[in-house]
Amino acid sequence: MTTAPATPVAEAPQRDTVAWLAVPAVGYLAIVYAVPLLFLLARSVTGPDGFTLSLFTAFFADPFSWRVIGNTLRIGVLVTVVCLIIGYPVALALARARGLVQVILLTAIILPLSIGVVVKAFAWQIVLRRDGVVSQFLVGIGIWDEPQRLLFTETGLVLGAANVFLPFMILPIYSVVKLIDPRLTEAGATLGASPFYRFRKILLPLTLPGIVSGVAFVFSLSVSMFVIPSLLIGDRFQTLATLTGRSYLLMRNEALGSATAVVLLVLAVSIVVGSTILAKRLGRSM
Amino acid sequence: MAASPAFLDIRRATKSFGSGAVLSGVDLAVAPGEFVSLLGPSGCGKTTLLRIVAGLITADAGEVVLDGVDITRKPPHHRDVGVVFQSYALFPHLTVAENIAFGLEAKGAPKAEIAATVKTFVTLVHMEALADRSVKALSGGQQQRVAVARALAVRPKLLLLDEPFSALDRKLRETMQIELKRLLRELGTTAVFVTHDQDEALAMSDRIAVMNRGRIEQLDTPTAIYARPATAFALEFVGLSTRLAGKVIGTEPDGIVAVETAHGTLRGPGAFAVGSPVVVGVRPERIAFGARDGANIIAVELMDMVFQGSRVQAHFVSPDDHPIMIESAGELPAGLAPGSPTPISWGIADTLIYPAVS
Repeated sequence: MTTAPATPVAEAPQRDTVAWLAVPAVGYLAIVYAVPLLFLLARSVTGPDGFTLSLFTAFFADPFSWRVIGNTLRIGVLVTVVCLIIGYPVALALARARGLVQVILLTAIILPLSIGVVVKAFAWQIVLRRDGVVSQFLVGIGIWDEPQRLLFTETGLVLGAANVFLPFMILPIYSVVKLIDPRLTEAGATLGASPFYRFRKILLPLTLPGIVSGVAFVFSLSVSMFVIPSLLIGDRFQTLATLTGRSYLLMRNEALGSATAVVLLVLAVSIVVGSTILAKRLGRSM
Repeated sequence: MAASPAFLDIRRATKSFGSGAVLSGVDLAVAPGEFVSLLGPSGCGKTTLLRIVAGLITADAGEVVLDGVDITRKPPHHRDVGVVFQSYALFPHLTVAENIAFGLEAKGAPKAEIAATVKTFVTLVHMEALADRSVKALSGGQQQRVAVARALAVRPKLLLLDEPFSALDRKLRETMQIELKRLLRELGTTAVFVTHDQDEALAMSDRIAVMNRGRIEQLDTPTAIYARPATAFALEFVGLSTRLAGKVIGTEPDGIVAVETAHGTLRGPGAFAVGSPVVVGVRPERIAFGARDGANIIAVELMDMVFQGSRVQAHFVSPDDHPIMIESAGELPAGLAPGSPTPISWGIADTLIYPAVS
């Protein structure tokens, strides 16, 4: 035996080549998003003497920070709730509409996305003024005794933000409702279930995955919005996002900015991850 | 006048969608415990009629009375009318048992009663082993069983079935038909069944309503509809038949008319004016090979033979689109070959004559 035995050619396991299609997106995001984020993270835990959590301990020790966190969460929850209440029925109507009506509804929901958020926020400034249409209308029908301004109030901010983010609630719910057989609620009716019971036991559980993703979208968008609060409520009212922006742009306080940015990031990520897990669990139990 | 024994009484049900009339004043009375099929081609209005009875759509005019109560304006959940849908419409987020329990829970029945009823119906439809399985994991036949059990578990006064077997293969369909019939008989449930499958209607129904273009053309027992179709449509839609176009050329004693067709003069019972265009029909098993005295006799040319196991069909060339057909349980005469002319005959009393459909 002088010749070396031929090494058996290992059968390459079949790899899922489709995964490679994600490479451009992953590469792009890694360069423009992940790397800067790492810098940000590093900045937030770096002091003059190396690693430190002092930025966070200082941040959480300040009552003002807690007010800012409270503002952020409150506005996020309110905007999400308003979007859900307005958006859910719209999503149902959109999914059940036929032909031209559906086209018109879909256009009405998607077209506003093409208008810049700055333009929309300015429009809301006009609408919410003391002499704006909302004020005039409410005085006109006798709900308000005299004109009031909604601009630079939390109500105005929630209204404006809900308007901007509404499509992000409607579309995920719509895409789920579209897949539900309309016969299901009819079957519920013929089994003696009242409209409310049908909603609670058939439609709601089946649309829950759509609700969860809509909520995740709108909540993470509204806790991190910057332009809308800047224009509709001003500097008096700070959220984590506006504070981050101010720290970098106005105060040149990178330390504070990186800390608030990281807190916001952790908040948003835990909401998105949490809701995804919730959706999976609910989907499985259904 | 005797009181109407109808359990379900549909009066002048009318419905149009857009400009097209789907139902033009349909009357239908169903006796308690009866199984009535609405049989017709798609678009004849049978499903619309069913949805009106269930309360899922509102009729433009007419009334629906169930068990003496006018339910025309009641919402579906106050009607006591169960429906088995064509797509079954099982709740995908629930198990077999939860699907069956749905109606009872919606009505707020006591827990013990729900559990007992679910157990009964799971057993009735042979799904004991799969009771806790998600309905998404079931085969078509199993889903169909669950849909039937779910609809019956609330003990509706009336069960409506909208082509429930159309998604099943032929073998399974026949088994399920027998099972359903047995189940409804055991529970004494009145049922209205929508189908476009005449074999299904003939096999299952106490009575069949043959529907065409928004009307009931004939309402009778399967045997009566097969033997004496009321209209040319009923003849064509239910069972096989040979149909020849012709024109009345004379009337004879005993209500017999003579009709001129492409195959010569044929006779049959009927009351038509001389000159009226008619359709002459005959069932394939009524036709025999060879000539007979006092019968309608024509000479035909063999086109095709279709062997069907217990029976054999012979198709003959006809100037019309439809072939002339003989169906025989026995042997075909020796020497029958395509192209050779053969005399065939059938009794004058077996001849069906209808006004030609314009």
